[in-house]
Amino acid sequence: MNAPFYKFNLFGFDVSLIIAFAIGIGFGFMLERGGFGSARILAAQFYLGNMRVLKVMFTAIVTAMLGIFYLSVIGYLDLSLIYVSNTYILPQVLGGLILGVGFVIGGYCPGTSMVAFSTGKIDGLVYVLGVAFGIFVFGEMFPMLEGFFNSTDLGKQTLPSFLGLSYGLVVFLVVVMAIGAFIAAEWSEKKFADRNPEKSI
Amino acid sequence: MKKFFSELSTNKKLAIFGFMLGLFALTAGNPYGGTSIKVNEKELALSTVGNSDKVLVTDLADWIIKAKADYELVDLRSEEKYSEYTIPNSQCIPIAQLPQSELFRNQKIVLFSDDNIDAAKAWFILKSKGYKGVYILDGGLDVWKEKVLFPKTPINGSEKEIAQFEKMKEVATYFGGQAQTDSSSTEIKQQISLPTTNLNSTQVTVPKGKKKKREGC
Repeated sequence: MNAPFYKFNLFGFDVSLIIAFAIGIGFGFMLERGGFGSARILAAQFYLGNMRVLKVMFTAIVTAMLGIFYLSVIGYLDLSLIYVSNTYILPQVLGGLILGVGFVIGGYCPGTSMVAFSTGKIDGLVYVLGVAFGIFVFGEMFPMLEGFFNSTDLGKQTLPSFLGLSYGLVVFLVVVMAIGAFIAAEWSEKKFADRNPEKSI
Repeated sequence: MKKFFSELSTNKKLAIFGFMLGLFALTAGNPYGGTSIKVNEKELALSTVGNSDKVLVTDLADWIIKAKADYELVDLRSEEKYSEYTIPNSQCIPIAQLPQSELFRNQKIVLFSDDNIDAAKAWFILKSKGYKGVYILDGGLDVWKEKVLFPKTPINGSEKEIAQFEKMKEVATYFGGQAQTDSSSTEIKQQISLPTTNLNSTQVTVPKGKKKKREGC
């Protein structure tokens, strides 16, 4: 049996929802254990005092990338069936900026706000309500935004196809970039140690 | 060397392990290469002999009327021909674009063109890419027009055949066609204009074929 299991019909839609639920719970648990339920640790990322977010995210990216790459190379995973969403460059840049500003102000991203809420934090609840309200407003305004939403469509882009490099080289470069980021993060945490909320908790 | 390695923290050991995997990736080859599929020619031949890879036009008409939605109907002709006339609920994927299409391997896919030839080529393309449920609309649009849109009265038909024809008359009307009650009207048939393609929005309740499956976060 080859992966991806869902697309090769190993289980149906109903079971896929149950599996997604289990993965979601596991993801939330790992985020909480990683300290992502605390707005102060998350926001400290932007003041360079605590680089936990960058380290966790880069670790996840490298782990997933190496896993997908090697499973595909040995023929276990059909990479052509992995969903790649289209790149809409301008809407995604703007959306990223809005999410970033919200992240600095509120101290959470949508996923970690759920984690904070589930551990009983009031600010997590406020944030979740804000996310729901934002989704509602966006949904209601969608007919007005639709033109921009679908603009500057670059199609399905991956780094190897966009840069014209071999897949293996991109994997190597991302690994090197991650290790560089880890070294820089360790350095920055030492330099701005006075801004690390973990020291004051 | 051994001492140096054992003195490193777990984080640093993992980083070195990750770096080694990254370095090895340079020479590991193309990840898309491992996914090519060996064609099982025996299985392909058997499915052709048994006609298990074909869907009859009358069955398809029945599915559309009953608003079945467990299949994807693919029109392999050019976009101009598609906009002139097509079977309701079909999506247009010209045969050259088939390898890049977004059809899923676990879907039931019914292919059609004017006749069986292009559909058979497309069938083979998809089968060789590992698609499981690929079917050909037997006879293609030519037979669809002949049997569904413009069915003819059976000459000296038995009672059963005539009852069947009465049913087909209704089906023809449903799809905007017209039954040919005069059995000598082959020439007239040519003059009858095909129903317009906006048929599917007015008469058929199923949403149009192209269902964009959204994924991701």
